[in-house]
Amino acid sequence: MIFNNTALPILILLVPAVASITFKWGNIKLATAISGIIEIFLSILLYIDKPAPGVFFIDNISVLFIFMVTSVYFLSSLYSIKYFSHHDIYISNDLYFLLFNLFTISMLFTLEINNFGLMWVGIESTTISSALLIITERNETSLEAAWRYIIIVSAGVTFAFISIILIYYVTGTLTMSTLINSSFKSKFLVLAVAISLMGFGTKSGVFPVHTWLPDAHSEAPSPVSAMFSGVLLPVALYVIYRIYEIYPLKTVYVWIATLSIVMAAIFLIYQDKYKRMFAYSTMENMNIALIGFALGGPGIVGALILLLSHSFSKAGAFYSSGNILRLTKSKKIDDVNGLYKNSPITAIALLFSSFGASGTPPFGSFFGEIIIFFSLYQQHFLVPFILVIISVISVFISINFNVTKMTFEDGKNNSKIDRTMEIIALISSIVPLAIGGYILILMGGLV
Amino acid sequence: MNMIQSIIFLIASMVAISGFYIQGIEFIIANIRGQSIQSILIASLSFIMGFLERSLDLIILGIMVVILRVILINYFLERTIPKKRKFSVEKYLSVPYLLIVDLIFIVLSVILIYKFVFSSMILRESIAPSNILVFPLITFFQGMFLIASRKSTHTQIIGYVEEENAMILFGIFLLPIPLIIEASIFLDVLALVVISSIIVLEKNEHNPVEDLIG
Repeated sequence: MIFNNTALPILILLVPAVASITFKWGNIKLATAISGIIEIFLSILLYIDKPAPGVFFIDNISVLFIFMVTSVYFLSSLYSIKYFSHHDIYISNDLYFLLFNLFTISMLFTLEINNFGLMWVGIESTTISSALLIITERNETSLEAAWRYIIIVSAGVTFAFISIILIYYVTGTLTMSTLINSSFKSKFLVLAVAISLMGFGTKSGVFPVHTWLPDAHSEAPSPVSAMFSGVLLPVALYVIYRIYEIYPLKTVYVWIATLSIVMAAIFLIYQDKYKRMFAYSTMENMNIALIGFALGGPGIVGALILLLSHSFSKAGAFYSSGNILRLTKSKKIDDVNGLYKNSPITAIALLFSSFGASGTPPFGSFFGEIIIFFSLYQQHFLVPFILVIISVISVFISINFNVTKMTFEDGKNNSKIDRTMEIIALISSIVPLAIGGYILILMGGLV
Repeated sequence: MNMIQSIIFLIASMVAISGFYIQGIEFIIANIRGQSIQSILIASLSFIMGFLERSLDLIILGIMVVILRVILINYFLERTIPKKRKFSVEKYLSVPYLLIVDLIFIVLSVILIYKFVFSSMILRESIAPSNILVFPLITFFQGMFLIASRKSTHTQIIGYVEEENAMILFGIFLLPIPLIIEASIFLDVLALVVISSIIVLEKNEHNPVEDLIG
């Protein structure tokens, strides 16, 4: 062990904090981007040198989530620098990056801490630090979206606090490492686990408490939408999974996640704005991953592959959306056409990220979904299996029909997009393809 | 039930009644102060039980409620109301109608949840009967209903704080969670109210927005 038990997790929390300190004295934009690179390096180091449970609880699952957060944090910080460079914003650039760093710290804290009460605090802190980010490009709609985000998520997360109180009432501890290896039996624990699904589910896109999600995603600036979709929702899902481990309620979780997927597929059919379309796709992906976690065993592997792949493809989708918004000044699908002619790099990034988000082979998400569907079938959840398959096909058609139309339909636009923004979107959208390729190589080795 | 238990029961019931008061009032400033009264009642419960059980944690909890909920949240929210709008009311509000719907919603939810879930809970000796848990439940649903039924940003924030108050009450009666966590939660809620008060300055009423439909 290179570091002692707490040094590395603390360092991961400190690096963005140090970048935030440059708020007053230095170049916070550059400091944030550098902090992003260091964070990715530290998360890899954390995988090699996992500390024993203590103040922090780090296992392979939490390391993967930390890696996702740090990667999207890095990409979004780079994208933000360019995205806001030529536009007036409501909050200052410095305040934006300060909040951006605090937002990342609160997510990392939630993933590292070994206490359910403090995890709740971490989740609530993500709302505090990210609410003002939604109104970066201030207008009436973004104010309303930010308000809905604050009030719906806070009310939901407060509801989740009942589950924390119940866990403490039954077990007398909130230490995660103690609880997930325990065998407590109580009807109040059943209630706690069910409440946590609805409470924390507010933040991770579980139906019917998902209503803030399309609003905040569509009105936030694109790098913030990428953080929301790519990592914030998975962090909430991580908390749900950890509480689920105390007392698994497989049937309840599978059915509620199935209902959420069906509803997301229905909402997606009539979307006429591309950012809202991607937001509902996030809802679908999060609930497929939730099914994977609930099923356990290979399902968890499927969920992790899906989430990792999804974080990059959805970040790519929102970066591409940001590029399109700068190009066309419209959020409507019908107002976007001829993208491939006008901006081929953004067009390819959009296509790739849509394929990644909708589980097209050979993108990583495809393999994640296949493993989850197979587990669902194997564990005799036949009705959910059929409903999920139909919904996934419907989502695939809805997204790719619109994206293909935006990309290849005739149209002319003389505006130009910043090349760096295009390349960031492209890199982000290619990663899920690389994940899929890597899985194919592994499978080849197995055969 | 001994006398101390009766006093605890009485104060807990007043917390729930203060929730009905907040629901029934149109004046925004009165709503904010109603929340302060509710917090004072919760703080006094925490003090009484702290002295009864010789628990320093409960006494500190009471002090935190007074400082953060009664003084600071009140201060931040009142500061966002311009002097000339001190008597501003929520428009288009039918209080009798809301109170009736509120009453039906609360009674049904609390009876069902208490009957099937919480009635078998065993509380600490100083509190005794588990039916005291109906009061935090009533307060929680009051907060929820306030958020759902009002359009004013201020009142919706009060609804959220009311939900949080219910959680403190719930924790006090069941088993107070460790103070360090409780303190973090208090600071979180305060920070959220401060952030919300920034939005209040920009937008103080919420109606359906065409771009956010679907």
